[in-house]
Amino acid sequence: MTAQPATASMHADVLIIGSGAGGATTATVLAEAGLDVLVVEEGDWVEQGSVVPFSLDQMDRQYRAGGVTVALGLPSIAYTEGRCAGGGTEVNSGLYWRPPGDVLERWRDQFRIHDFDPHDLLAIAAEVEQEISVGPVPGPYSEPSEVLRRGADALGWRNGEIPRWMTYPKGAPATAGQRQSMTRTYLPRAMRAGARIATGCRVDRLEAQGGKAVRAVTTLADGSPGTITFRHVFVCGGAIQSPALLQRSGIRGHIGRSLAVHPTVKLAARFPDPINVPDDVPVHQVKEFAPHLSFGGSASNPGLVALNLLDQWPTFKQAVTDWQHISVYYAAITSEGRGRVFSVPRLRDPIVTYGLTGRDRELLRSGLGRLTLLMLEAGALEVFPSFKGAPIVRNRKDVATMQRSFAATKASVMTVHLCSTVPMGEDPARCGADSFGRVHGQSNVYVNDASLLPTAPGVNPQASVMAFAIRNARHFVASGGKRA
Amino acid sequence: MRQVPALPVVASFAERLLALDLPDLPTGHRREAVEFVARRVDGLPSFTSFGVIVLGSVFRTLLALPGGWTAARIVMRLPLPLVAEYPRLIRSLSFAYIWEHWPHTSPTGAQPAEAAA
Repeated sequence: MTAQPATASMHADVLIIGSGAGGATTATVLAEAGLDVLVVEEGDWVEQGSVVPFSLDQMDRQYRAGGVTVALGLPSIAYTEGRCAGGGTEVNSGLYWRPPGDVLERWRDQFRIHDFDPHDLLAIAAEVEQEISVGPVPGPYSEPSEVLRRGADALGWRNGEIPRWMTYPKGAPATAGQRQSMTRTYLPRAMRAGARIATGCRVDRLEAQGGKAVRAVTTLADGSPGTITFRHVFVCGGAIQSPALLQRSGIRGHIGRSLAVHPTVKLAARFPDPINVPDDVPVHQVKEFAPHLSFGGSASNPGLVALNLLDQWPTFKQAVTDWQHISVYYAAITSEGRGRVFSVPRLRDPIVTYGLTGRDRELLRSGLGRLTLLMLEAGALEVFPSFKGAPIVRNRKDVATMQRSFAATKASVMTVHLCSTVPMGEDPARCGADSFGRVHGQSNVYVNDASLLPTAPGVNPQASVMAFAIRNARHFVASGGKRA
Repeated sequence: MRQVPALPVVASFAERLLALDLPDLPTGHRREAVEFVARRVDGLPSFTSFGVIVLGSVFRTLLALPGGWTAARIVMRLPLPLVAEYPRLIRSLSFAYIWEHWPHTSPTGAQPAEAAA
């Protein structure tokens, strides 16, 4: 089961723009309720197994701009967005975190989200877990994952395995999981219920008539123009593209002003024995200092190892010959900074900015220090922090030296978790959409993706995105969307 | 906004950077890596692409002047955020490409057979 290429003229009762965690779940709920649903996706439908995970080929085919996207600031923060059927679910680590209960309560109270019971959302999360086969890895953990467990245990720090949306062939190792992403789960389910999915279709803007959005102006994969007429539209392009589309369509309000991310800094650690797993990531995370600070493992193919040695190449370069003994790890923080997404007339892509606070910078410094310590406790011979001027760390004494020389402006800071650009809630001064994702001031334009999360949740946001999207789509159906 | 092809703009600077970091990288590999960098720059989001082309043009002009490479190296060492990010982008893309395609590349860029010779 796969998608069809978009055509120049299409129509649907409900148009869903984007096919990732938000769009795919929305499509399923609405199609199963009997609505006429069309999902459009800018990228291609790429079958799993046809690209090597975390490779440059994957970045070419499944990421926006080949994975080279950046939020401008001091420092600038590199980020990535999926651009393919299934969106980010096709390319991320597949690690699953339920939204924390205290975060949900804070969102409800501070952003005035009506008719929202966190217990109901967690019940939806349980349904999602069933659908996408969330569970632990069978058999032994990979060595890079064991490093996190071993180092944290030695320090007495709280850590654990994070379940993934994976299935595993019988008897296969932990690294042979098959990702239960949207192209394997919700998108086929939506199609079975009658939803159509069209790839190679970028929506440039929405046009209104009589105060209602009625038409999407599109560009097809071959560059030719197109239009889609609709009665309702759900914008599910993610936390950068969704606000950008609304802005290009002249929709004002609290749109694109409160981008939230989990900034990360990285290091490469060299161990006595071979450790490198090029095409998978560790399943352990260290949560001793959560929600402010978390540690985990990154993709570590030889190209990415070289990338992590680059900032201090003259002193780090010898290590690259030993990449099989090296794995890459990150320290992620819950940032108090904020970013913006701006659409500029005549520019195809939005400008994205992000500003870290002083507290964020200190947290990145202490996070990198603690992560380095953890690596040494796990048996690392050498640690190579990713910032300009970093020393090679071989013992505890070096950790203090490293922390003194760290500055966030010298580091390669990146993130993969982007949210909060159209926060949901009833306060139009700080929310772009209402309690169920309808854009304030619009009668038939909805957002249903990571943009709605009021703040960064402190954990991988995908479970939160899916649960909220299902909740909101069900509300749409229950409140008469079918008849509108 | 009309797109300017990146290859002519970034090629000379990227070649110089790679020659500095990886002096023993075979010419064919270097050319391939530079072409990859240019393809990625061509696919950058519009504003970033515009910035890279502007910075690339400045560095390209600098390199065309007598003593330009020395001047470029001084500029790269200045704590100027956007200027510093241009060489970082070029080096990041090329390193990722080189070690993904030829994982046994030595720290000087030499390939295994050449390193043994």
